[in-house]
Amino acid sequence: MQLASLLFTELLKLKRSSMFLLSIAGAAVAPLVVVVATYVNEPSTPFKELFYNVNLYTVLIIGAPLYGVVTTYLFNREYVENTIKNILTIPVSRVSFIMSKTLLLFMWIMMLTMIAWFLTLFLGLLTQFDGLDISLLVESFKEFSIGGVLLFILSTPIILVTLVMKNYVPTIIFTVVITLINVMGGSSEHRALFPWAAAGDIANHTLPSTYPPEYSYTAIIVTALTGFIALIVYFKKADIH
Amino acid sequence: MSEIIKTRNLMKIYGEQKSVDHLNITVNQGEIYGFLGRNGAGKTTTIRMLLGLIKPTFGQVEIFGENLFNNQKSILRRIGSIVEVPGFYENLTARENLLINAKILGVHKKNTIEEALEIVDLHNETKKLVGKYSLGMKQRLGIARALLHNPELLILDEPTNGLDPIGIKEIRSLILSLAKDRNITIFVSSHILSEIEQLATHMGIIHEGRLLEEIAFDKLRERNRNYLEFQVSDDNKAIMLLESQFGISDYEVHAEGNIRVYSHLGKQGRLNKAFVENGIEVLKINISEEGLEDYFTKLVGGGAIG
Repeated sequence: MQLASLLFTELLKLKRSSMFLLSIAGAAVAPLVVVVATYVNEPSTPFKELFYNVNLYTVLIIGAPLYGVVTTYLFNREYVENTIKNILTIPVSRVSFIMSKTLLLFMWIMMLTMIAWFLTLFLGLLTQFDGLDISLLVESFKEFSIGGVLLFILSTPIILVTLVMKNYVPTIIFTVVITLINVMGGSSEHRALFPWAAAGDIANHTLPSTYPPEYSYTAIIVTALTGFIALIVYFKKADIH
Repeated sequence: MSEIIKTRNLMKIYGEQKSVDHLNITVNQGEIYGFLGRNGAGKTTTIRMLLGLIKPTFGQVEIFGENLFNNQKSILRRIGSIVEVPGFYENLTARENLLINAKILGVHKKNTIEEALEIVDLHNETKKLVGKYSLGMKQRLGIARALLHNPELLILDEPTNGLDPIGIKEIRSLILSLAKDRNITIFVSSHILSEIEQLATHMGIIHEGRLLEEIAFDKLRERNRNYLEFQVSDDNKAIMLLESQFGISDYEVHAEGNIRVYSHLGKQGRLNKAFVENGIEVLKINISEEGLEDYFTKLVGGGAIG
């Protein structure tokens, strides 16, 4: 019951929030750039390629920093606006507090993912790319969703960095480093061992055959679980100043 | 009278610094307990421990007769609090901010939010975003939020900090009326002596993490005696005269020839005459009461508060 109330209050806190619109603008970048660039350079590209490229850029390039900023906003604003002392003395259990924010983060990431998918579809139709059918719609939707879910799962270390450092800068640096490794390791046969790069490959069915897929899934699960346990343990014991 | 707050040897150590050192305080039901101390004395650290925001290095906190750390959730539900400057979601209105607390607390009664806003006289400001509120309005809104669930105990950390004189007066009146009309026990910290003096029924003085004294204001006023103060040209000669001619032994000698005489009140004319007749020049005569400031200065070993 308290989790439902907390989720309601988390949604209420976003009312009139500029971060909400900014994140939508951020999620629109990949579809806009990919569709416009493809239309200008290779207008005969099939629709499938549009979805593939947008999902690739969303998961590997834009996702980590964009969702990292959203994560930091959600968790760090309680410290910045000095509201955490009020919430925790109402009282709200520290685990429920984390869970409600994490749930909202999931909804937010999935919403941004769906916006990216819908914009790709809309802009692709507007510029009349060929090859769109129902099976492509279903498959691309599934791939975008998998990418979003995996990036959400991998947000636990980012939440931990936010809670420990209580600042935007370390989180931005952390997510930029993730993106850099994604880009630099893009052509490496070992990229499937790096959780964030593996997420992109799993979503787009492009896992290299160097290692069994289980290795990639394990890397993602271990990273996510370690992050989750560490953040719960840390936050339950942390002094609130 | 039942004990509402009781701490036993409460300690908080950061590195090698004892922020709070073996603190034993007792707050009884119905009291307005002023927690007085200079900046950095350990007031906010103590309040954070009373609210479970930080864990003590050592010691116990009992609130409503129960151990805080074993029953934190049920105890905190009976407390309203403001720790330092109250924080709000500045993109929301006052009503929306209070709705967050009401929702989590499960306060479903109609008009609860409006009633709370009315108590602090913010009921006409409900469309304004909190980001546009003055500090005084935010403090009042903080009190409204703390009152939302009809708490039995209010813990307020420096609620008048940063306010202008009118804002200070408003908050003071509000706290006094809450104690009187709603019978709420109030624990309020401040570094301003006069503030505590005008507000509290009881006082605890904290200095460098340690509780120096815990006393009811009634008893303090009894203890702080009136005295005659003479500034004379020769304090040694004056003392001898007071002792030999008037049998006075209850006096103190301060700097610059100031002598405080705690007996013979109302007989300053006779004493003055005796001084002059014996060739002692009297530069100044005062009839004074030892104030809270003198008392505090003595207690903390000199230096101004703040």
